[in-house]
Amino acid sequence: MTGWGHRVRPLALATATLALGALGAAAQTLTIGLRGGPESLDPHFSALGTHAEAMKHIYDTLVFADAKNQVQPWLAESWKAVDDTTWEFKLRKGVKFHDGSEMTAADVKFSIERVPAVAGPVTTTIYVKNVAAIEIVDPHTIRFKTKEPVATLPYDFVRVFVVSAKAAAAATTKEASPQEFNSGKAAIGTGPFRYVSWTPKGDLVLDRFEGYWQGPAPWQRVVRKEMSSDPARVAALRAGQVDVINYVPSADYETLQRDSRLTVAKADSVYVFNLQLDQRERTPRVYDLDGKVAEPNPLRDARVREAIDLAIDRRTLVDIVLEGFGKPANQLMPDGFFGSSARIPAKPFDVERAKKLLADAGYGKGFRIDLHCTNDRLPGDGVVCGALGQMLAKIGVVTNVQAISRTVFFPAQAKLEYSVFMNGWGTLTGEASYTLGSMAHTPAPDVGMGQFNRIAYSNKEVDRLLELGRATLDDGKRRAAYEEAMEKIVADRAYLSLVVLQTAWGGQAAKVVLAPRADEDTLAYFIKPKR
Amino acid sequence: MLGFLINRLLQAAAVMAAMTVIVFVGVHAIGNPIDVLIPPDATQQIRADVIARYGLDRPLVEQYLAFVGNLVRGDFGRSFVFNVPVAELILSRLPATAELTLLAVLGASLLGIPLGIYAGYRPRSPVSRAIMGASILGFSVPTFWIGLILILTFAVELRWLPAGGRGPTAVLLGVPWSFTSGEGLAHLLLPALNLSLFKLALLIRLARAGTREAMLSDYVRFARAQGLSELTVIRGHVLKNIAIPIVTVFGLELGSTLAFAVVTETIFSWPGVGKLIIDSIRDLDRPVMVAYLVLVTFLFVVINLVVDLVYGALDPRLRPGAAG
Repeated sequence: MTGWGHRVRPLALATATLALGALGAAAQTLTIGLRGGPESLDPHFSALGTHAEAMKHIYDTLVFADAKNQVQPWLAESWKAVDDTTWEFKLRKGVKFHDGSEMTAADVKFSIERVPAVAGPVTTTIYVKNVAAIEIVDPHTIRFKTKEPVATLPYDFVRVFVVSAKAAAAATTKEASPQEFNSGKAAIGTGPFRYVSWTPKGDLVLDRFEGYWQGPAPWQRVVRKEMSSDPARVAALRAGQVDVINYVPSADYETLQRDSRLTVAKADSVYVFNLQLDQRERTPRVYDLDGKVAEPNPLRDARVREAIDLAIDRRTLVDIVLEGFGKPANQLMPDGFFGSSARIPAKPFDVERAKKLLADAGYGKGFRIDLHCTNDRLPGDGVVCGALGQMLAKIGVVTNVQAISRTVFFPAQAKLEYSVFMNGWGTLTGEASYTLGSMAHTPAPDVGMGQFNRIAYSNKEVDRLLELGRATLDDGKRRAAYEEAMEKIVADRAYLSLVVLQTAWGGQAAKVVLAPRADEDTLAYFIKPKR
Repeated sequence: MLGFLINRLLQAAAVMAAMTVIVFVGVHAIGNPIDVLIPPDATQQIRADVIARYGLDRPLVEQYLAFVGNLVRGDFGRSFVFNVPVAELILSRLPATAELTLLAVLGASLLGIPLGIYAGYRPRSPVSRAIMGASILGFSVPTFWIGLILILTFAVELRWLPAGGRGPTAVLLGVPWSFTSGEGLAHLLLPALNLSLFKLALLIRLARAGTREAMLSDYVRFARAQGLSELTVIRGHVLKNIAIPIVTVFGLELGSTLAFAVVTETIFSWPGVGKLIIDSIRDLDRPVMVAYLVLVTFLFVVINLVVDLVYGALDPRLRPGAAG
């Protein structure tokens, strides 16, 4: 059991008792201004972070990612591997749905089996792809068969929500499901809040569920307002219209901090900005000084990659460009995640050595690159990209910075049109198979890895370690394999990690105690009333 | 008259058809919408499955024909992002935009036209100079900036009005409106003001220019010589003659504000269609884009049609079918 529940329960009860007394409804309503909201009331429709965040209010998952993004027992009390391809989960007893019925293994089976039929384009099938068969042992024991050993199965379940098999019985097709869920008929979960109403891109209104298995939430009503504009959200907080906002922009952070009526909180996020260097023999967007496509691809030379790495002043990126909203990164995941290596040193910044390495590699006069990145996906992506361009120019790599919308960036990146690009990667599961398996394995559809490796990075030893990690059920051995893989990937310098992003929340000091989380979720259940 | 209407409707259909082709080709040129939406850790197999499920693996012409086939049956399709019928999605947000836009454009007209006429009638008075000076601000300062200043002043500092969002709604004629209650109006005021400033300035300048020109014309001089009161001259001779350009601009502004009030809607977190369309463009949510643009085209056609009919009412020479 996680510490969260224990800390919340007495407070929640205290609030409930107080509510019966003098306090009015206003003090019991928590209004949150959020940058993004859900896309449906069907928890299995979308894998988008903002969608899952909203769904966590109504539904629960088998396992839960805590504030530091590490897994904790939730609807499942415990789990173990029975053999190489079978996981057994013990479900918590006495967990009630909003309609009063008890959650059992049948609901879990129903929930997982309906995913492929109702998943949208941001497909949630990624969370259940490893499940080959489900077997109910008794109402509180369930077994999952996998085709091959899958050590990370519990991590997959962090975003698999459990719906009521009875209430959602009719919602098993893509056409029927929105009507069933959005009307509230099927939107029956075991979570801390009941669904009241929702409009797309508008407000999601929720009421407290008194029978929540961890004790009722401290708020009678929660209104989650979608306010996509950053200045609008800040203004709404300062005007007292909302109690909490997420994604406080770095420029406003200090103003809010100085305002005695407000409180702010900051947390490391799961997102790391990586500069990616294409390793194909022929790459389209690297040119010699005359503007002709450079052959052979200079980025395949280890000295060139090291020079680029040395040219990046990560301290400046964090302190000046991101206005303190980050930390220098030296690997593809933040510290303390499962598979991050403590043996990797901080990245040095040395322009002279970078120039010498370029000269040794035969590029003393430099070369030209197009640097692509998004400018509307994560805070600071566009400005970091611009700063990178200037840093690379100092060692003679003439950089044409193209900071563009994610709408254009991702399809083009998928078509392998870029040579040097930067984008953020969030280790949403808190462990390495998600990040390294997607990015660092040689693209191999048959093994299901390397699907986001868009730079043709390939290291046989890394491949071996990643496959070993995925198949190893022993936590210690698996961690060792991922750490070694991470060290090799960092040493190859095809992925240059730049900064770990941080995110901030703001709230009314007199009303709330904020609950910052690494996965950037804003969860009403954990935001406590100030007393 | 009937021929005129049929002609207009045919034109509209052609423009709407062109619009759908442009959106299809445009989205296709950018890339596969699934690559924007799909989670990064989806395997190749999952990606291929999703693309096939949405029919995005088929040739563009085939996708387009399927779309047209559904459209003929009145089905715009479902949003990729929200998985609800597109028509339902757009219609659910249209009233919010409609009331905001109507309030802004009507407010701008009722205030701007008299002010403009006054400024044209007495061009050298200090009041006229003040009106003209203020109108420069109206169209030279960007909307988003004014919006933020309005919020900071009236919501954050003075706390007189809400900083954004729509007030409580009440159903009238089967549509939820928010202008029926005091709180709803309070929510409407700042965004409507923000949206109207540019139009206000435009109408002031238009009315002033027209009035100045009309005041120098022979018919105004003869009317005055006849001994008619100044008010009658302005109402009967000036206003009628400057009405044609004002009605034209009014129509165009109404249309473009209804369709693209996105900046104001974003700053004031107004749950209208503007935000929806911008987000759908970002997500390459093609069904929403297509349906919305078709709707906007239709809207413009209707507004222009009304404008043409108003021309006829104002000036018999411009009646459809009248000998020019």
